[in-house]
Amino acid sequence: MAKTVEHYDVVVIGGGAAGLTAGIYCGRARLKTLIIEKALVGGLATYTNEMENYPGFPEGSTGLGLMELFHRQAKKFGVQFKLTDVKAVRLEGEDKVVETFRNEFHCKAVILATGGKPRLTGAPNEDKYLYDKGISFCATCDAAANTDKTVLVIGSGDAAIEEGMFLTKFAKKVIVSVLHDEGIMDCNEIAKGEALKNPKMEFLWNTTVHEFRGGEEHLRSVALKNSKTGEILDVPVDTCFIFIGYLPNTELFRGMVDMTRGGYILTNERMETRIPGVFAAGDVREKFLRQVATAVGDGAIAGYAAEKYIAESEMFESQVMGESPRIVYVYNAASAGDRELLGAMEQYEQCRCDLKLIKADVYKSNGIAQRLNVSETPCVVYIRDGEVVGSVACDRICPENIDALRRT
Amino acid sequence: MAEFELDCLGEACPVPLMKTEKKMAGLKSGDTLIVHIDHSCAMKNVPEWARKQGHNVEVEEVGDGEWDVIIEKC
Ligand SMILES: Cc1cc2nc3c(=O)[nH]c(=O)nc-3n(C[C@H](O)[C@H](O)[C@H](O)COP(=O)(O)OP(=O)(O)OC[C@H]3O[C@@H](n4cnc5c(N)ncnc54)[C@H](O)[C@@H]3O)c2cc1C
Repeated sequence: MAKTVEHYDVVVIGGGAAGLTAGIYCGRARLKTLIIEKALVGGLATYTNEMENYPGFPEGSTGLGLMELFHRQAKKFGVQFKLTDVKAVRLEGEDKVVETFRNEFHCKAVILATGGKPRLTGAPNEDKYLYDKGISFCATCDAAANTDKTVLVIGSGDAAIEEGMFLTKFAKKVIVSVLHDEGIMDCNEIAKGEALKNPKMEFLWNTTVHEFRGGEEHLRSVALKNSKTGEILDVPVDTCFIFIGYLPNTELFRGMVDMTRGGYILTNERMETRIPGVFAAGDVREKFLRQVATAVGDGAIAGYAAEKYIAESEMFESQVMGESPRIVYVYNAASAGDRELLGAMEQYEQCRCDLKLIKADVYKSNGIAQRLNVSETPCVVYIRDGEVVGSVACDRICPENIDALRRT
Repeated sequence: MAEFELDCLGEACPVPLMKTEKKMAGLKSGDTLIVHIDHSCAMKNVPEWARKQGHNVEVEEVGDGEWDVIIEKC
């Protein structure tokens, strides 16, 4: 079956907090915008019951309720939604393609907002008890609900031990399952020292999760296996916290955009990736804090940046790269010297009726300069028949040199 | 690779899912089934079931509160 082809200005992959915010900004800028979400619109935040730290909701909010508001706002601005899995992408070049199993979406800009997921142990019955049924990935979210209860922490890295110590302020007992020999942990030495001294913490060395056990409703115990002796230990718990890492959903983009070893996408502060017109936002980025509030900030920037990128591409095609001969004066409005030369350039144009002058201020945006491969200002680029003929920069800018360019 | 349709408009859970399961059983690999639903619960459980079976799934909102669940048999 041939795939149906559809055209958009922007395609956002992932409908979490970051993707929805990017959608709101693009939709409001009147761009034809599509958000593709493979599971639930709202993303990871919909799994948390209490969202206490997102500003604007002093009484708190449920993750689902909050994300529903994001969704409605995006729809209000005409953003379209497709609920399906993105299977492949082609990001290089001006025409970018996002493929699902039935469609090929062509677009000018792509925003990668696929978030991530907590790493799982893979032990039997794990999927039965995820999130609100006894297996948690967030101490900040579920600590209070475990006041005076017994909890199990899986893992011994910084996150596991720091969150585990936080849990001791609420829980009666915090049992930690560590993969390694007694005394060996993956966390930093300071955290390790503190944890070993904490009277509420108990360590089970050389253990891995063998099975999650319980009824239909809730987890009752976790069976741990001793990797040395093979012995199975049944540990009754109220909640099991798993902290064995976080995996960004970036397999699809591997080898295309730059990533850290852990698979997080590297961007600059404009959310730009290595590829022009491809942006990343939210948890999927290499960043300091992964929260809804920061995902929203990223999404706003990515949406705005995508809009600017598209406007600039259009302006570049229609005005800069035209047929008739033209010169582009690339300058920085913040520089007095560049501003002075602007007047001289205008005069130069007026004396030559067959020539058009285009002014590109890098202070506002350096997109056009980048497309013309200009790295320093001031610079004059001569264009004829839609092609760059040559350029002169800085001290070499004078009527004679520009005339010479036009004769080549 | 034929395309089939299943009209479940006006039907509440679990009817759409039961009908979908039955219909899918008769399809060949590569065939597509389009299920029309307007019950928000079916919009969750039909795609969830289909994804668990390993089929390709897409949900399209065709109107306010009306969806097409498109399932390609694996
Ligand atoms: C248990 C838990 C509790 C948390 N509690 C809080 C809290 O109290 N406060 C707070 O601020 N933050 C909290 N967070 C963090 C918060 O959920 C994230 O920072 C936030 O969801 C990031 O948003 P995002 O849009 O970047 O990514 P996500 O929310 O992860 O959204 C990404 C979306 O992309 C989709 N996707 C992935 N791959 C594809 C594909 N190939 N095709 C189509 N769609 C795809 C996913 O299905 C997902 O919906 C919590 C996280 C967890 C796990």
